Amino acid sequence: LSHMAHPTMIDLISRLSIRITGEQGGAVESTTYLLLGANGALLGICTGFIMHRSGFCLAGMFRDLFVIRQVTMLRFLFLTVVFSSVFFEAVRLSGLPVIYPSPIFSPPSVSNLVGGCLFGIGMVLAGGCVVGTLYKAGAGSLVSLAAFGGLIFGSAVYAEFHPFWMSWCRAMTFSSNTTIPQQLGIAPLPLVLALCGISWILCCKWHRSGRLRVDSPADGFLQPLSAALLLACVGIWSVIVTGMPLGVTTAYAKMGAYIESAIPGGHVTGLEYFTDITRQYVNPLTGVSLAWSAGPRFDAVAALQFPVIFGIAGGGALSALLLREFKFHYRAPVRQYVSAIVGGSLMGMASRMVPGCNVWHLCGGLPIFASQSLLFLAGLLPGAWLGSLLLVRIVIHDDGGASP
Amino acid sequence: VNRQTDGCGTDSEVRGPHLIEFDIRGRVYPSTLLKALREVDNHRERIRSGAVKLLFRTDNPLCSLTIPDAASAMGHEVSVSRDGDHFLIIIGGDYR
Repeated sequence: LSHMAHPTMIDLISRLSIRITGEQGGAVESTTYLLLGANGALLGICTGFIMHRSGFCLAGMFRDLFVIRQVTMLRFLFLTVVFSSVFFEAVRLSGLPVIYPSPIFSPPSVSNLVGGCLFGIGMVLAGGCVVGTLYKAGAGSLVSLAAFGGLIFGSAVYAEFHPFWMSWCRAMTFSSNTTIPQQLGIAPLPLVLALCGISWILCCKWHRSGRLRVDSPADGFLQPLSAALLLACVGIWSVIVTGMPLGVTTAYAKMGAYIESAIPGGHVTGLEYFTDITRQYVNPLTGVSLAWSAGPRFDAVAALQFPVIFGIAGGGALSALLLREFKFHYRAPVRQYVSAIVGGSLMGMASRMVPGCNVWHLCGGLPIFASQSLLFLAGLLPGAWLGSLLLVRIVIHDDGGASP
Repeated sequence: VNRQTDGCGTDSEVRGPHLIEFDIRGRVYPSTLLKALREVDNHRERIRSGAVKLLFRTDNPLCSLTIPDAASAMGHEVSVSRDGDHFLIIIGGDYR
C-alpha cells in the first residue's frame, strides 16, 4: 500500500476489509471493491442531485436545439467540457497516478460515428440520456423507468451481434492514436489553453448579455453554471479515484446478462460478449487489477457502476424529496411509453456499439480531445436531429405544432 | 367559466374574456412545452392585441425555464410564479 496517493483513506478502508476477509491479499482486493462501491455511490448521488436541481438534461439540450432552436443549456454543457478539460490537464501535470489517456478509450473508428448517431436518436426518443433517465426515474417519472428497462434490453441485444460488430470496428479503425494531441504529436496543454481562451471570450460576451444566469422560480434551483462546475468536479473526482470518467453503460449490459442468465436454456453462456473477460481494470489508488466484463458475475463493473446507477436515481429522489416535489409522474400517452422503451433500447445498444455513452464521451472524452469522442459527437448531432423529427412528427404530434 | 378539454386530456378554462387557463400538470416533457407553444401560436394575434392572456399550470421545473424562454423569443411578455406545488406561467401583455 506504500505507493498509494491517499494512504490515510485507503489504510482506513483496508483495515476494515482485512477484518472482513482475514487475509492480506484478499483484503487489498476487497479494499478496492469497497473503494469503488462507496465512491460510485457517492459520485452517483452527487450527480443525480446536481442534475435534478439544475435541470441539467443532456438529451434535452440537444433536443431543444432542434425542436425550439434553443441553446441555453447547451452553453453550460460546453462550459462543463471546458472546466473538465482544465481539471484533467491539471491532474495529468500533477503527477497523480492516473494513466492518461484512460486505457478504456480506444483509437477512433467509423463505428463511433454510427453508434453516436443511433445514440442521438435513442436519447431524444427516450426523453433522457443514460444518466438523465436515472435521475428522472428517481424523482418519480415512470416514463423514464420504462426507458431504463429499454436501456437494459438494448444492451443485452448488442451481445447478439458483438463479434460481427467488433470485426467491423477493427476494420474501420483509421488511426492508432487515441487523442488529437497524440495525433498531432504535441502535449495537450496548448489545446487546453486555446480552449480556455475561446471560452473566456465567449463567457465575457455571455456575461454582458446576462446569458450566464438562468432565472427560475423553482425552489432550490441550482444555477446551470454552478452545475457545470460541480459536474466537472465529479468527473475529475472519478478520474482520480477510479482512473476513468463517470460511466454506467457496461453495467446496463451486465444487468441484461444477469436477467438473461436467469432464463432457462443457457443462451447467455453462448454469447462471447458475456463470457469473455476482455479487460483487466487497474485501480490507480490501490494498484489492484480486477476483471472488467459485461458478463453475469461480480467484478469491477458491478462494484463501481451498480452503485453509480442506484446513486444517481437516489440523488434525484433525494433532491425531489427535500423539495417535497417527489411524486409519480405517469400521465403520458401510451405512445410516449413506447417511445421511451424504443429510445432506451436504441440508446443501450448504441452505447455498446460506440462504446460509451454521452456523459462518458462529452464529459470524459472531449475534455482530453479523445478522437472517438469527437466522432461520437459528430454522430450524435444528426442523430438528435433525426430523433427530434421522429418525436415531433410521430410521438407527440397531437400535442404540439412546432417542427424541428 | 367555460371549461374546455382537448384531445389529449388537457383541461383548459376560459375565465372571463381575458384569461385562458391550461392545466398541463403531470404531463411529460417535452410534450408540455410543445403543447404550450402550439397554444401560444394559436392565440398569437389575440395575445398581441391584449385580448387574451394564457395561463399554464405546470409541475415540471424544466417548463418554468423553457416555456418562458421560448415565448419571450416569440416576442410575448411572460411572468412566472409559484402556486403551491406547481408553477404559473402567464403569457400575454405588451407586445414588443
